[in-house]
Amino acid sequence: MKQRHWISWFCIALVSSLALVAASVADDPPATEAERAYEIKATMLCPVCDGQNVLESNAPVAAAIRAQVDELVSEGRSDAEIRAWMARQYGKDVNANPPRTGIGSLIWIVPVFVAVASTGFLVFAFRKWRVGRGSELSDDDVTIVSSLREPT
Amino acid sequence: MLVRGTGSYVVIALLGTFGVAVGFVGAIGGVMTLVSSLASKREEHHRRAITWVFVMAGGCVLAVTAMEIGLLRDDFSMQYVAANSTRATPVLYKIATLWGALEGSLLLWVFVLSVYVTAVSISFRRRIEDRLVAWALLTMLVVCVFFLGLLVGPADPFGTLSIAPIDGDGLNPLLRNHPLMAIHPVMLYLGYVGFTVPFGFAVAALVTGRLGEGWLVLTRIWTLIAWVSLTVGILLGAWWSYEVLGWGGYWAWDPVENASFLPWLTGTAFIHSVIVQERRGMLRVWNLSLLLATFALTIFGTFLTRSGVIDSVHEFSASSLGPLLLSFFALILVVSVALVGWRGDQLRSPGSIDSPLSREGAFLANNLLFTLFAFVVLLGTVFPLIVEAINGDQLAVGRPYFDRMLLPIGVALLLVMGIAPTLTWRSTAGAVLGTRALVPAAIGAATMVLALLFGAEGLGPVMGIGLGGFVIGSSARHLVFAVVRNGWRGITGRSGGGMVAHIGVSLLAFGFIASTSFSEEGEFQMRPGDRGSVAGHQIIFVDIVDEMDGLNRVVRAQIHVEGRGIYSPAITQYPTFGRPIATPSVATSFIDDVYLSLVAIPEEDSDMVVIRVLVEPLVAWMWVGGLVIAGGSLLAIVPGRRHVRADSEEVGV
Repeated sequence: MKQRHWISWFCIALVSSLALVAASVADDPPATEAERAYEIKATMLCPVCDGQNVLESNAPVAAAIRAQVDELVSEGRSDAEIRAWMARQYGKDVNANPPRTGIGSLIWIVPVFVAVASTGFLVFAFRKWRVGRGSELSDDDVTIVSSLREPT
Repeated sequence: MLVRGTGSYVVIALLGTFGVAVGFVGAIGGVMTLVSSLASKREEHHRRAITWVFVMAGGCVLAVTAMEIGLLRDDFSMQYVAANSTRATPVLYKIATLWGALEGSLLLWVFVLSVYVTAVSISFRRRIEDRLVAWALLTMLVVCVFFLGLLVGPADPFGTLSIAPIDGDGLNPLLRNHPLMAIHPVMLYLGYVGFTVPFGFAVAALVTGRLGEGWLVLTRIWTLIAWVSLTVGILLGAWWSYEVLGWGGYWAWDPVENASFLPWLTGTAFIHSVIVQERRGMLRVWNLSLLLATFALTIFGTFLTRSGVIDSVHEFSASSLGPLLLSFFALILVVSVALVGWRGDQLRSPGSIDSPLSREGAFLANNLLFTLFAFVVLLGTVFPLIVEAINGDQLAVGRPYFDRMLLPIGVALLLVMGIAPTLTWRSTAGAVLGTRALVPAAIGAATMVLALLFGAEGLGPVMGIGLGGFVIGSSARHLVFAVVRNGWRGITGRSGGGMVAHIGVSLLAFGFIASTSFSEEGEFQMRPGDRGSVAGHQIIFVDIVDEMDGLNRVVRAQIHVEGRGIYSPAITQYPTFGRPIATPSVATSFIDDVYLSLVAIPEEDSDMVVIRVLVEPLVAWMWVGGLVIAGGSLLAIVPGRRHVRADSEEVGV
């Protein structure tokens, strides 16, 4: 690579990393009560409306849950406490996030396992491909080639 | 011919039943003809199957016509019409009611399938004596027999009522307040059903043992047509839910959405990896498996959404179709696995991948990522069912799960999309990559800086936007060189059209990232004259109109969005439907959408309304991106030209 390319790449890398650092710094964790309540509502499913979260739903029960979340947040309860309270009240499937314990945790583990295993398999297959490349010459191949070469 | 009177015109229902019966007989006739002529190796008899295909198509046309006549003429002696239409339904929605409920949507499925099979028969009529084509047609006809069988038996759309009601019940109001309802399902079915064609050829290739690249070339156009229809269908569905459902979103990871997304994911993997097979003769087993999986997933998705096993907004009434669809799915799976297993050793490919830093390597990475993506979506969709079956727990798997798991995969896909066009086949030297990727990478970095200047924040979103810029840069670079070399033909063909589609994907990604990460919302209780402000947009509540439209109470708020004009979101209380349905109104621009919806129906004599205002940046870019993807795919269907040889007379022209 030409030298000016190295310089250009260095500049690009520098600008990109600065931009990404700036982007992460600007993104604060929820600070105010309202922001925290918003995050919780966005990850609670409305029990009667098939997949919409309580933030988006117009159903009365969703409005009730919104009010309850606001109240619990202002009482200073932690996120986990609020989620547990909601699960007791409305059933486990009110949480849009599957649990990280028990059988439910499989949904988080299995994809990671599959990703690692399939990448590993590809790397392995790739190595095999490279080793096996061009090494096999069947009898048919030899016959064909020799028959073609004979006339000349 | 059609007599009005008591019992209305049962004739139409009879006509429909007759059409379905003719279609069923035609499909069976075609299957029997092909089986016997394939078994007796009398190739000259294959042609007779085409006549049966026409019989089948005629029956399907008759059935669909009968249903449409019934719907348009309010024949409430027909059960389907009485249950799903009303006299007051506007004509467009009467037509669309065909696909508004279970039986009708299966009728549409069968109709689209018969159109595809007829088109295949016509376009391959001169090659029908080829066993490969005959087997492909046979496979498609077997699928026809199954679906027509559903219409004959368990999902008969032409049941009649002995006493016709004065008026019908009508569709769920959500399904009849936006014209997209007339297009979205049709496009989706064109895609869904279209994958039957490459499936048929894949099975035929396996059965006949002609596993070279010939059958792939034959089905290339069909696969692309199915793929682009499915893509457009899914995006129209997203657009519809954005315009109609009133929550300002377009994708909820609802099981039905996932059911349409799964075959799209494997189909997308296929249209990429097939290039490696055509170019290098590799990945044969993999490509066949992807096609078989794509078709199997369309059937599995139909099972999920038509059998009532999963709760969903899209769900039709629970029906007895579940076991039948599941059995058909199992059959497809068993046949597919058996065929691939049987031909396994013939599918060994001669080529090899020399370096991961090559075009092939990028395609492999693409396939790994798409397959993983599909796996996560499938797992998330069926996981609640699995857990409930094991220990009775009711779990939900919602958007946070899909976001968390799929975001890294999506980012990786964008990265591969950006790098791939700069790579060469077989292997790429680092210096070449360093030169070719330089400008695209600079564009990517500049996009990030620009995004920050416009107020973007967060590592994930900004990185995604930067990679989108990178993809646009490298796709545009590829296109520029292609056009310099080949003139306007440079943007056609699979590589040119593909690059255009990639630019569309980036635009879509910008819209998706910005609208999900940077939207702001406010909820206001307002009386006429009140003002509110969200994300710098001033809104003024001008007036309220509260009126009766027939039996429905419609409340319309007139809201002035400063700089955009007057918008009137509404909310309607239908007497036949419990909760009121909000009709949002969106002030669209290429910078951001101001999404207005009424939260609750106001008291009868009050002029106080609750308005939710959402400001979502760049949403419109998603729809434009979708349009560009569709355009790129159409360009890919136009045969392109790879190189103009140096000695060709066209050089310099």
